[in-house]
Amino acid sequence: MTQSARKGVGARLRRKEDERFLRGRGDYVGNIRMVGMLDVAFVRSPVAHARIRAVRKSPGLESVVFTIDDLTGVKPIVANSALKGFKSAPQHVLARDKVRQVGELIAMCVAPSRAEAEDIATQVELDLEELPAVVDMVAAIEPGGPRVHEEWSDNVVLETLVDDDLSTIRANAAIKVQRRIRTARQCMSPMEGRGVVAHYDRRLDQLTVHSAAQMPHINRAGLSECLGIDQGRIRVVAPDVGGGFGYKGILLPEEVCLGWLAMMLGRPVRWLEDRFEQLAANANCREHYYDITGYATADGRLLAIDCEAIVDSGAYSSYPFSACLEAAQVSSILPGPYRMDGYRCRTWSAATNKPPILPYRGVARTGVCFALELVVDAIARAAGKEPYEVRLACLVPPEAMPFVNITKKFFDSGDYPEALRRAVRVLDLPKWRERQKRGEPDGRRVGVGLAIFCEQGAHGTSVYHGWGIPMVPGHEQCTARLSPDGVLELRIGAHSHGQGLETTLAQVAHEILGVDPDNVRLIHGDTALTPYSTGTWGSRCMVMSGGAVATACKEIEKRVRAIAGKLMEVAGDDLVLEAGRVRVAGTDRSMSLAEVAHVWYRAPQLLPADVDPAGLETTAGYKAVRDSGTFSYACHACAVAVDTELGTIEILDYVVVEDGGTLVNPMIVDGQVFGGTAQGIGTALYEEMPFDAQGQPLASTLADYMLPGATEVPTIRIEHIETPSPLSYFGQKGIGEGGAIAPPAAITNAVNDALADLGVEMLESPITPRRLLTALAAARARRGAG
Amino acid sequence: MKAPRFAYEKPQSLDAAIRLLADGGDGAKLIAGGQSLGPILNFRLAQPELLIDIRTLPELRTVRDEGDAVFLGAGTTHAAIEDGRVCDPTRGLLSAVARTIAYRAVRNRGTLGGSLAHADPAADWVNLMALLDAEIVARGPSGERRLHAAAFVRGPLTTDLAADEIITGVSVRKLSGRARWGQYKFNRKPGEFAEAIGGFVHDPELGMARALVGAIGDAPYVVADAMRLDEPAMHDAVSRAGFADGTYEHQIHFAALKRATAQARGA
Amino acid sequence: MTLSLSVNGTPVEAQVEPRTSLADALREHLMLTGTNVGCEHGVCGACTVLIDGAPARSCITLAVACDGADVRTIEGLDEDPVATALREAFAAEHALQCGYCTPGMLVTARDIVLRLPDAGEPRVREELAGNLCRCTGYVGIVRAILRVLAERKTAG
Repeated sequence: MTQSARKGVGARLRRKEDERFLRGRGDYVGNIRMVGMLDVAFVRSPVAHARIRAVRKSPGLESVVFTIDDLTGVKPIVANSALKGFKSAPQHVLARDKVRQVGELIAMCVAPSRAEAEDIATQVELDLEELPAVVDMVAAIEPGGPRVHEEWSDNVVLETLVDDDLSTIRANAAIKVQRRIRTARQCMSPMEGRGVVAHYDRRLDQLTVHSAAQMPHINRAGLSECLGIDQGRIRVVAPDVGGGFGYKGILLPEEVCLGWLAMMLGRPVRWLEDRFEQLAANANCREHYYDITGYATADGRLLAIDCEAIVDSGAYSSYPFSACLEAAQVSSILPGPYRMDGYRCRTWSAATNKPPILPYRGVARTGVCFALELVVDAIARAAGKEPYEVRLACLVPPEAMPFVNITKKFFDSGDYPEALRRAVRVLDLPKWRERQKRGEPDGRRVGVGLAIFCEQGAHGTSVYHGWGIPMVPGHEQCTARLSPDGVLELRIGAHSHGQGLETTLAQVAHEILGVDPDNVRLIHGDTALTPYSTGTWGSRCMVMSGGAVATACKEIEKRVRAIAGKLMEVAGDDLVLEAGRVRVAGTDRSMSLAEVAHVWYRAPQLLPADVDPAGLETTAGYKAVRDSGTFSYACHACAVAVDTELGTIEILDYVVVEDGGTLVNPMIVDGQVFGGTAQGIGTALYEEMPFDAQGQPLASTLADYMLPGATEVPTIRIEHIETPSPLSYFGQKGIGEGGAIAPPAAITNAVNDALADLGVEMLESPITPRRLLTALAAARARRGAG
Repeated sequence: MKAPRFAYEKPQSLDAAIRLLADGGDGAKLIAGGQSLGPILNFRLAQPELLIDIRTLPELRTVRDEGDAVFLGAGTTHAAIEDGRVCDPTRGLLSAVARTIAYRAVRNRGTLGGSLAHADPAADWVNLMALLDAEIVARGPSGERRLHAAAFVRGPLTTDLAADEIITGVSVRKLSGRARWGQYKFNRKPGEFAEAIGGFVHDPELGMARALVGAIGDAPYVVADAMRLDEPAMHDAVSRAGFADGTYEHQIHFAALKRATAQARGA
Repeated sequence: MTLSLSVNGTPVEAQVEPRTSLADALREHLMLTGTNVGCEHGVCGACTVLIDGAPARSCITLAVACDGADVRTIEGLDEDPVATALREAFAAEHALQCGYCTPGMLVTARDIVLRLPDAGEPRVREELAGNLCRCTGYVGIVRAILRVLAERKTAG
């Protein structure tokens, strides 16, 4: 492996994709131009819950405005779970009879430009009978209130229970802390919105849908189900995509609508989501509530967790992840990286008149880490210990790896305590404790916070089939072809939208075949050109697509050896593949990959008659040794200064100690951690979509819905532990989501550390100045009263 | 998010602009840099029939010395003030505030007059000009008027300007070498609109001691005689500005005022 | 209306409605799709272009207001020496992932380098406040700009 270290697995190789982006030559869906293309604007519900009495098209607009009655043969989107008790909420692609969230699609308007389509949309008259809205998830699951779906008995999509008998622990635990913890609803907000360009190819009898999608093959399956045409007649192409984060891991009602429209009109049609649509109609993640109790020994060792959790699932069930995945995940991952003796968790997925939930980077892990790590800190305070001490007492130790935890998760490898110890050391905890004691000259209060988690990534069939949702992952394929000129083409069904797979998968190919990464072309995200894949989600691509590419390249290597061996009249095993050449070991006799390929394709007369005709192209599959997933993990540690006059928080230092196993490209791994951490800082301090009592979203601009900018994100310091996963091809672990998991917990713990002696403990994200000053005032009042 | 249809005129003189504005009635609207109006149009929150583009009118680009004041043309961009490309009679306060308005790309086009006419209660010039007791100069069909900045804004997005008047500029008094000022804007992120603005200016030679409780969702609140503004008086000012003691808004406005005052006093 | 302006050094004409933004005129009428549209209300900075040499939001600037102006987009910065240095630094520092904010980010970065040659990290961050990136956490972007500032200082 050493000969290829410079460009292969482990190299900080610059990204192949940068050149086009740095010159404004990225091709996003909004850049696609087709002759005769029309633009679409949607009429969306202005209210959260209403019966539709009528939708009136102004005279003369009948042929350019479409409602659900026009979409004959189009079926609703159905994303059911097979879990017992799951309630189904089919979603009509344009509302039928009722609307259940602000922004729900009601009518589709088409015109030569978007501006004109919006003009038409203003002329569609809605006659709505407004109904009481279900807005708060905690109230939603109480009996007797209004129901999102009248045919249901209540607003519970699914209830789950993991039930240990905790009575002994309850009776004997010296420390018991109970907290009610909330995380705000967020809007994932990739810089590029969603977008669809659909057209019908009469020659191929095929609908082509260009979509800013993370999972094009899944979208194709869903389009087929809804449009009632076979999958062979649908091609989904995800071009360059301006950020995903989960926001684009969905079959969109808009996609179904545009697919129908393109076929009906016989013309290309386009819809590009604007920021107002995104904020007003699609704030769709992160909203959790926990009533959580931690039991511990007098010295703070965690004994058990008892939790009741609610996830606000919104009005419908998103395809393919469903309305219950996130709450179900809460109960399976809440114990985090810790050992404990008892665990009880009851969860509800609550239906509300809000956008349907989608898994955002980190999915339930961010909320779970927030709840658990706040409780662990509360235990530390109760025990009078440093927070890292109580964690060290119950983290799964390296000698126990691989470890099956209390919810049967298989932690594959790693040294969790070392991540914690190193984070404390790199942050320099004693320095901060000293500074905290001294006090700040400007009167601010300093605090230090920690959070540690493990992240299951690239999990497969055994984990997913139990949920019984429309998509079950398990294996991944790659098609590899050595072209006649020696360029290697790789085709994968997942999609790269910032992760740099065009580079990292070329590094993988280089590792196996010695082909220069510059001579590797990755074709991805096009159902017509790539093998099937469940797509890009769940921190899976580097493990699954990386494994598939390696496996396919291994097969190509075998065939190159066979052909080159014949040509150089040596056994294939005597050949070495390096630097784009095939060399006879121990000699300087060699030929280039291009020469081998040339002979195969263009001079086959040079080959003996018995040569294997399989050639230099293959599709190979990859499945992990076991499919329970890789477990990357990280400890985040930070120091903050809290301004108690204005309620603002400055992050003074931020450290991440991360184990992503074998790092294929450390530069790209760092980029994922930086970006995820920035998003986590947004969750912790800035991002929130509030709703009023009628279910109206209250942030409609990026001035109200605040994404962290360059002044809100500090310089983040990263250190790596590299414990190879025993389960993956090179030992790599999925790390794409990790950065976004711990910051809310670490930062909130730091704030609580800063304010502990004032009697303030923040339990809700984000910590806005209003929340912080309100809590400080309440604590003052309590102290005054006491 | 595309703007509604409207007609567009780019008159070549101020008088022509005033005539178009008068003739256009309620449906006519002025546009200069368009940095406030642009988003409003894209959200279709404003639906004018006619936009009159006054950005390049030479009459609005003048800057002149008026003796004890400096007249800054309404078309002066925030960036020009930030960079010191126009005279700053406040010895740096205008330029310091300009640098915090939105973002550089917005400041390159956004104008002083446009921001004042838009009259967002959280906008920087609306509040600062009230603090400085500046005069807003407006022209209409019947001639020119000078309006006290502190009384110019009547409420959110509402001003004293008549429908056919155009702001031509702002007359800002020259502060003396002994003047001290402080300004504190509280916002969650640089460039975002203020949640609170505190201001304090003391010029013994002008006999001026004024304090500002700004970004209050309404016309700015100015303490005209702020010579002896101590903490109880600051609380009082914030309460008079409309925020009861004990509320979040009271707390942030008090802190902003306190910090502005401390800055001015060199504390 | 007929719009006449110079785009990337070439005189062009386009038929646009008065309501058409400069961003849409560039993208839909002139087929210059390098300028991305992110929020259409002036906050995110993705659409930042140069108008008469200064960065501006093309999403909230009317195309008709740019009649006679000199507009430069990312496509017109291929040969620009500062943009070239920034592209090199952006690639070296991994200052981009999905690439959507990148054209606007480069226009702003170029302005920082030219206008504030002495800027340190806090000032660079402050000046970047009007350009949102959802992927990188700004770490690479800030480093890349600081790198180019330092290189230019060394070069004199």
